Amino acid sequence: MSCSPFDLKDYFLKELPDAGRQPVEDHLRTCPACREELDRLRLTEAALFALRDEEVPQRIGFVSDEVFEPAPWRRWWGAFWGSAARLGFASAAMLSIAILVHAFVRPAPLAPLVSSPVATAASISPVEVQNLIQAAVSRSVKESEARQEEKTQKLVADSLYREEQERIMRVRAEDLNRYLERSDGARKVAAYRTTAETRLLP
Amino acid sequence: MIFRAVEDADLIRHAARGAVEAYNLLVSRWEKRVYNYLLRLTSNREDALDLAQDVFLKAYQNLRKLEDPGRFGPWLYRIAHNEAYSMFRRRRPETDVDELEPEGVGGGITVGGSSVFPIELSLAVSAALTRLSPEQREAVVLKVYQGFKFDEMAEILSCPVSTVKSRLYTALELLKVELAPIGTRGVS
Repeated sequence: MSCSPFDLKDYFLKELPDAGRQPVEDHLRTCPACREELDRLRLTEAALFALRDEEVPQRIGFVSDEVFEPAPWRRWWGAFWGSAARLGFASAAMLSIAILVHAFVRPAPLAPLVSSPVATAASISPVEVQNLIQAAVSRSVKESEARQEEKTQKLVADSLYREEQERIMRVRAEDLNRYLERSDGARKVAAYRTTAETRLLP
Repeated sequence: MIFRAVEDADLIRHAARGAVEAYNLLVSRWEKRVYNYLLRLTSNREDALDLAQDVFLKAYQNLRKLEDPGRFGPWLYRIAHNEAYSMFRRRRPETDVDELEPEGVGGGITVGGSSVFPIELSLAVSAALTRLSPEQREAVVLKVYQGFKFDEMAEILSCPVSTVKSRLYTALELLKVELAPIGTRGVS
């Protein structure tokens, strides 16, 4: 192999295949220059690791967090009506209550059977929950982008305002300079220039 | 590492089918790495946190588009890279992408917590990183701090492997010069 630093860097960065590492190691045993270069790379890497990873200052919001999820009662409602067993039990209970009430209120004549009011409330399926979450996530992303946009526009507007102010100051200074040069001569011009330059300094 | 990769792939499959809890677990696993990557790109904690939040939301939205769950890492970092550069562009729309610099350049990232390394070394490293071009700095962050392979870096940065290697090697040469005496002092 050659003394190409590219081979050595690939070796150092563990990007060489196993078959390619052995020739580099053999070469390192006989080449002091490459050994020194490898030591320098290792020192650089050790120095870079002085900059440690930081902990996330605040937990990243989960998509299941309250802000993205349907309200708890809607989840309960959806889960309740999503279960066939519960639905059957509820229907049977309602039918029983209806029969009992009917028996006590109108005991004499045999009334025609009233069909039980089977619940028809719309249940929320997992797909719908998923869609709700997707919609909330999309809304949140849009809001975040809008916030960023607003921040950017404010920064740009501030910058333009500052530039405009500086330009006005410069124009006024130039006008005054011309006026003073015409009217009071070199002494006054020199005195004003000193003052104006001091003012224009950031 | 292999087990971890398999578990991630399983979580991704479940999350893609709508298992929110599986996705939450993925976020817990990746949030610190993604946050630190963005922190080193932006040099600003608030921006890094906002961007990290957006990255995980966008990843959730697009999880079904991820064809190979084994490439989740590079795919997630690609989103993070795009989000960071979109922010840079929004803040300075007139600047060419190649000239984009993160905020706070020159000041560096302050390092919190106790460390086995002297604080001056951390600050010197931070300053040396900010002296690199944004592309060189990102290559160093992805390789040295995040441990990606060249092909994964090429996927994240959307450029050829040869470009990735060129940026990284140039950055290492510069850092070697910048940090050589400090490295010797810090390690010995």
